[in-house]
Amino acid sequence: MKISRLTPHPGTTELTNRLRFLLLWLTLIISVGCQPAFGKLLLDLDNPNLGKMPIMVADFSSNQPGPLNGAELASIIKNDLVMCGLFEIVPAPQPAPLNQNGEPDLNSLARTGAQALVMGSFNVNGNLLTVDCKLYDIGLQRLDLGKRYTGALSDYRYIFHMFDDRLLEKITNLQGCFTSKIAFMDDTKTREIFVMDYDGYNLRQVSNTKTLNLSPKWAPDGKGLIFTSYINRNPDLWYVSVDGQRVIPVSHRKGLNASGRFSPDGNMIALSLSVKAIPKIFIISTEGNIIKQLTNGLGNDISPSWSPDGAYMAYVSDQAGSPQIYVVPVNGGESKRITLTTSYNTDPDWSPRGDMLVFTAKIDGRFQVCVIRPDGSDFKVLTNKGTNQDPSWSPDGRMITFTSNRDGSKRIFVMDAKGTVQTPVSHVSGRNPAWSPRLK
Amino acid sequence: MDTRHLKIYAAALLVIVTLAGGCAKKIVKPNEAPVPGFGMAGPGAVLEGELQGVQTSLKTVYFDFDNYTLSPEAQAAIAYDVEVLKRYPNLMVVAEGHCDERGTAEYNLALGERRAGAVVERLTALGIPSNRLSTVSFGSELPVDPNHNEQAWAKNRRVYLRVSK
Repeated sequence: MKISRLTPHPGTTELTNRLRFLLLWLTLIISVGCQPAFGKLLLDLDNPNLGKMPIMVADFSSNQPGPLNGAELASIIKNDLVMCGLFEIVPAPQPAPLNQNGEPDLNSLARTGAQALVMGSFNVNGNLLTVDCKLYDIGLQRLDLGKRYTGALSDYRYIFHMFDDRLLEKITNLQGCFTSKIAFMDDTKTREIFVMDYDGYNLRQVSNTKTLNLSPKWAPDGKGLIFTSYINRNPDLWYVSVDGQRVIPVSHRKGLNASGRFSPDGNMIALSLSVKAIPKIFIISTEGNIIKQLTNGLGNDISPSWSPDGAYMAYVSDQAGSPQIYVVPVNGGESKRITLTTSYNTDPDWSPRGDMLVFTAKIDGRFQVCVIRPDGSDFKVLTNKGTNQDPSWSPDGRMITFTSNRDGSKRIFVMDAKGTVQTPVSHVSGRNPAWSPRLK
Repeated sequence: MDTRHLKIYAAALLVIVTLAGGCAKKIVKPNEAPVPGFGMAGPGAVLEGELQGVQTSLKTVYFDFDNYTLSPEAQAAIAYDVEVLKRYPNLMVVAEGHCDERGTAEYNLALGERRAGAVVERLTALGIPSNRLSTVSFGSELPVDPNHNEQAWAKNRRVYLRVSK
């Protein structure tokens, strides 16, 4: 996936000038009041009354028949917009009505209730794909975003995800992360690590150890993963480059070397070691040297999660008799238990904005994905079908990937941060999903 | 109980006969032992030759859900295993800690480690030298019974003692 191959069209500069009116568009939406605060989607999790923006995506058109289907291309965009939880798709007339200038007749679309229209065209020339993508504001009858991408035909899904990243940035002031990926382990006898697009496409095997592998977690640069593997018959921490070519031992002390997590700056790794018999949270260098022991006591401590600023660590301890989530300052201070309501709370993952933790709680005998603020307030249950666990935030904080067995076998799911849209994405059975950082 | 003792004596006899039969004919090569954590799932897995009898005579130690304390039954099983292991002072023992499928993979890794540690601590207290003992946790990754019910879970919450030369 070479981004360098995807060059914006020179004409986009002209388009972006016109997009300076975007704020006006957003302001208008707010003042009209039908969809309040779309200009403040940075605060989307804080506004429980935020509605979904109705949007239309027309089939993409092409001058000549080719290997790609315009309806299928439109469905990539529709899927992205639905999955992030911020939009509802309004069926678009096919083809979209055009006015005498060849532009979409936005006036006639106003009656549909849609606030925005996405449409465009594509052209395949040999192995090269050129796509024009446009976002129109139906209410203001204006083009808001226009992009042209040229890239390898095989990267066609990536090209449309790129446009959707920008579309979300235009509408919410925060770029989307549809170009990011999810790592997970397959749920067969040997548990190899795989990477796929966030929506389940382009599945690729990364590890080939033929042993148990657990808990893949991304390096902040997106170039590799740390994971626990039994390559040497002990749960040791390993690093694998994302192309699978380099496999390097990181920590191989006696006992557990489990649940490794890179610090946000990538310079350290938090993990659980049982060098002193009881599993405790330690911080080590990326070369594997112990920097400090972070937790003490008689409980099993595991599953650390750094706050985005690196100042705090959430982790699981059963020191009070059952596994619960605690938060401790990394530079010293008291541990504070934040989960109080149920008897089994594990797997914390700190949101990219730092305001929430997503975790697994045992509720009525089954496991569900929940969120809570780092101070222990605002506990919410997001899932209720089957057993759901292993949650991991998307890098923009708008989506969560997790494992669910609601359809029978364990599969990787993606939902928006409020749980309104929950979709299976992996085409194979899998567990332990980890969402990548934004990939450059 | 009597038949189990018979089994041990039979195993012991097998070892003696095998050893007497000549050291050149080593049946078991540690390098060829099944790789723990890959394919072989606990009590069903046996090593070849003279280790086999010892391996099958050892009792698996079972636990309650989300618990690593030793019940009276667990302590009895360990006491039994100590008697077996004392007869073979050259054998190394890996305590493999396992959990049932419920809960989180990572937390279960910690729980399996504590279960294995609890068994090793007890083995040491009953006279098995600690330099013969080690632990490895497989969390909930290697169930002996793949079913999703209490009967299966009870079998899967275990510490399996794997012996090797």
